[in-house]
This record gives sequence, structure tokens and C-alpha cells, in this order.
Amino acid sequence: MAPGWTMVAELAIAAALLALGAVMAWSSANAAKRLAGVQIALLGGCVALAVIEAPSTLMLIAIAVALAHVALGGAIIVRLQEAYGGVEAPDIDSADKQSEPVEPDS
Amino acid sequence: MNASLLELARQHALLLAVIAPFIGAALAVVAGHARVSWAISVLAAICSAVLAIDAGQRALINGAPIADSVEGIALRADGVALFAAAWIAGALAVTTIAAGAFLRQLNPRVAPLGLALVLCAGGGWIGALYAQDWLGLIAAASTAWIASVALAAFGAERDRAALNGAMRMLGAGGVACALLFFGAGLIGRGAGSLEIAALESARIFAPGLTLTGVGLILAGLAIQAGIAPLHLWGGAAFGRGGAWMMLTAGVIGIAGALTVIVRVAAHAMAAPAIASGVAAGLVALGAISALIGSMQAIGARSLPRLAAYAFAAQAGCVLISAALGSQAGIAAALVQALAIISSAIALFVGSAVMGGAQSLHALDGVGRRAPLAGAAITAGALGLMGAPLTITFLGRWRMIEAAVGVGWWWAACIAIAALLAGVFYGGRLVERVYFRRSSAVADAQAGDWCAAPALIAAICITLLGVEPSLLLRAVGAAGAMIMGGAP
Repeated sequence: MAPGWTMVAELAIAAALLALGAVMAWSSANAAKRLAGVQIALLGGCVALAVIEAPSTLMLIAIAVALAHVALGGAIIVRLQEAYGGVEAPDIDSADKQSEPVEPDS
Repeated sequence: MNASLLELARQHALLLAVIAPFIGAALAVVAGHARVSWAISVLAAICSAVLAIDAGQRALINGAPIADSVEGIALRADGVALFAAAWIAGALAVTTIAAGAFLRQLNPRVAPLGLALVLCAGGGWIGALYAQDWLGLIAAASTAWIASVALAAFGAERDRAALNGAMRMLGAGGVACALLFFGAGLIGRGAGSLEIAALESARIFAPGLTLTGVGLILAGLAIQAGIAPLHLWGGAAFGRGGAWMMLTAGVIGIAGALTVIVRVAAHAMAAPAIASGVAAGLVALGAISALIGSMQAIGARSLPRLAAYAFAAQAGCVLISAALGSQAGIAAALVQALAIISSAIALFVGSAVMGGAQSLHALDGVGRRAPLAGAAITAGALGLMGAPLTITFLGRWRMIEAAVGVGWWWAACIAIAALLAGVFYGGRLVERVYFRRSSAVADAQAGDWCAAPALIAAICITLLGVEPSLLLRAVGAAGAMIMGGAP
């Protein structure tokens, strides 16, 4: 059965959510925003599954994976705050660069 | 009694090979004590390896049929799954043994959890290889990925920079999971079935939708395999992630995701409606990965980063081999994937034994200070270079043969260019290991005997190119089994 135009439109919305989430997850300066981006991308995936009327098991797995990302991401953000005193990616990157081992002249 | 139990285990080998690591993980956490948990983990990983290797040997060498498993989890034994799962399970066993050398890097209270996560990552990738449908594949791959991210964060016990790598992994992997779900949904709609093998047998009534779905799934797996330019997480995660990160995401994760890509590609290439589109996507991604990975490896300044980028370059050649869509192409892809597993064990475990070897300078004189680690790193470097008599050389030779056979001269040129780049960055490692004196800065931590089996195994696999007849028979059977009548 070929998809109708309403389904195409709904799939386009799901794809837009996924793309928006991917851009947020990969380019945000703040770690919490990155996690929010991951959730938006996973929401896009769930919406696509719902539009396509995928089996409920697949939907449940998608929700479980999203929850696992929230739990793990939240824990990492807390540890980042404790270790670096902030969750801004540029500050963390610059702190890591300063502690990078230097290659001695040979 | 014992014989009947063994026979029962062999009949359910696929299911047991998948669940043994997860049972081991649960018991390791319950045990609580680091050394006891390690012993349990090693036992579980060895059980999984024995079952997976036995199933692979029976099907690919002896030609015996392996029954599909339907007890709650739908598993299917195709050629690529049988071959790759045996090696991944073997790699899980040797890396779990090697993990004993790095137990003291973790707080004793969390060490059992670290071991459990290593087993979950391994069990996840084995499950993804055996999965009969997209549902099982995605659930298993997501489990493996999340376990790897958690282990990357564990590296913060020694170096807080590991948290940065873990966050990048989470961001990249989360989007990869979303792509996998989206792709599975599209395939289900376009092909009318969620079974992976149905791609080649079903009448695909919406080829565009199905092709997009397969493309999204391959893209998601490519992110998890660290294939350039989708390896956003690789540098930060491997550079400062520590030993545990290298054992899981480095050895098990890269090889697991890559072999799952080969499996998905083999099934998709057997479907005439989408084969040309999938081949074009794989070729484009493979060529870009070989190019970018080689350039980044040449410029890398730490062994884990160099290895991660070099594997991205090697993985590019695996994708091009898979894109050939023939038995010879799949066989070449599997040999090269095995070469990546052996080099990954050699370089990542060798680097971990040297205390993480964050700077290439730490490798100076390793050949004298830690002979076994030095020999393993050299074997890994020779593998990256594709030196004659190594398994990489064999795999690349088979790839060039298969590519020239269908007139893909440019693919042969890419393979040769990747090898030449490998001579540069692999040669740099050999030079540091044997031709430089160690300095006070690079004085190394002593290696532990636990890492020895992994290092010896890596050297032996790398040298499989000396007598490859059994290996070639196995990959030939794997290619024939999954590609059916394709030449």
C-alpha cells in the first residue's frame, strides 16, 4: 500500500523533528541542550513509528531507549557539573585541551 | 546425561550465546566483589564464545544446518551472523579476561558494574548479529551502545575528560538510535515485513520508502561504528576514555557495529529493487571514510585516537567490499572486519596495558620495556599497514580481486591508497616501539598477565594470513549462505 499524502506530511514532521534534534544534539554548546536534542530526535523516531503503525513492541523499545538516554545523560551532566563546575561544552573542551598530554620534542 | 545436556545446549546455541553474557552480567553485579565478579564474567564470556564458535564451525566448515531460535527472542543464523558472532564472542572472551588487568583503575565497589557493562555491550552486539527482525537488531544494538556510553563515563574515575567523551557518545548515539527506529518503521511500511531476511524475498511495493529506511539504518549503525565523517564521538571518547572504554567501544563496539552493517548490506544487496541505491550509499560512505580516516590517522598524536581513525579508514574499505553485492565481496568484507578485530585488540589492549598511552611518546622503547605489549602493538600496526602475510593484506587482496572482477578499478585504487596511508601511520608506531629509547616521561606501568591472552590472540589472528585456507573456506561459506545464488 503506497503512503497517502497525509502520511507523507506526518512523516515529514517526524523527519523534521529528527533533523532538529540531531542538529541540537551535535551543535549545542550546553550539555543539557544536547540531551534535549537527543530526546527530540528520539521523539521524531517515535512519531514516525506511530505514523507508520509499527508494532507496539517497537514503540515500547523506542520509549525504553529514550528513557535510558535521559537517565544516563542526566547522570553524566551531574558529573560534568561536579568535575568542571559547569556544563558548557566550549569551557569543558578548553579545560580538556589544557590537560592534554604534550608531545615532547624529539 | 552430560552428553544430552551438551547436545541440548548445541541445539539452542544461538539463544545461549546471546543470553550467557547477560546472565553473567547480572551475576557479576550480584556477586559484588571485584575479583569474584571478574571470574563470573570470564566464565560467561567463554561460554558465549564456545557456543558461538561451535555454531559457526558446524554451519560454515561442516555445512550442518543451524536451527532458528524462536524461544521468546527471534534469532536467525545467516552466514555473516555465524561468522562474525563467533569472532565477536571470542573477542569478548579475551577482552573480559584482559579487563582483570584494569580492575584496579575502578573503585572496587563499581568494578562489578563495569564488568557487567562490558558483558552487556558484547551480548548486545552478538544479539544484533543473530537478530531475525529489525526489532531485535535495534533493541540489541541500543543495549550495546548504552552500555558502552556508561563505560566511557566510568573512565572519569581516572580522568574527568572521559565525561566529555561519554557526553559526545550519548549525543551521537541517541541520534543514531532515532535513525534506527525511523528506518525500521519505513522498511516495515515499504517491504511489508519487519524480518531482515524478508528484504530479499518480499515483493517490495514501495522501493523508495524501503531504500530510505535501509539508508537510515545503515547511517545509524555507521555512527555507532565510528565511520568517518559520522565519527563525531571518536576522538574525545577514545582519546581520554581509558582502558575500559577501549575494551568495549574500541574492540567490541567498532567490530560489532561494522559486522552488523555488513549483514544488513548483504540482505539489502540481495533485493533487486533497492540494491543499486544501497550500493551507491555504501560506496560513497566507504570512500569518504577511507579518505578522512586515513588523513586523521596520519595527524593523530595519541595511540587510541590514531587507532580509532585508522579503523574508520579500514572500515571504509569494508563498506566498499560489501557494496560489491557478491559472495566474493561479502567474503572480502568479513576478512577485513576480522583484521579490524585483531588490530583493535592489539592496539587498544596494548595501549591500555601501557596505562592508556595518551601520547605517542609513551610508546618509545615499549619493545624493550614490555615485550609482549610491544609485539602486539607491532602486529596491530602491521595489520593497519596491510603488510604481506597479515590478515589485512589477505582481506585487501580479496577486495581488489572482487572489485576488479566487476570493473571497479577505482575501488582497487582506494584500497591501495588506504594501505599506503597505513604504511605511514602504522610505520610510525613500529618505529616508536622498537627504534626509540624510552624517556622518564614515558616510563610505563607494568602490564598484567591478564592482558596476555588478548595480546597473544591478536598476534595469532593477524598472522592468519600465513595459512588462510580454513578462514577462506569459512568466509566463502558465509558469503554463499547469505547471498544465495549471487556470484
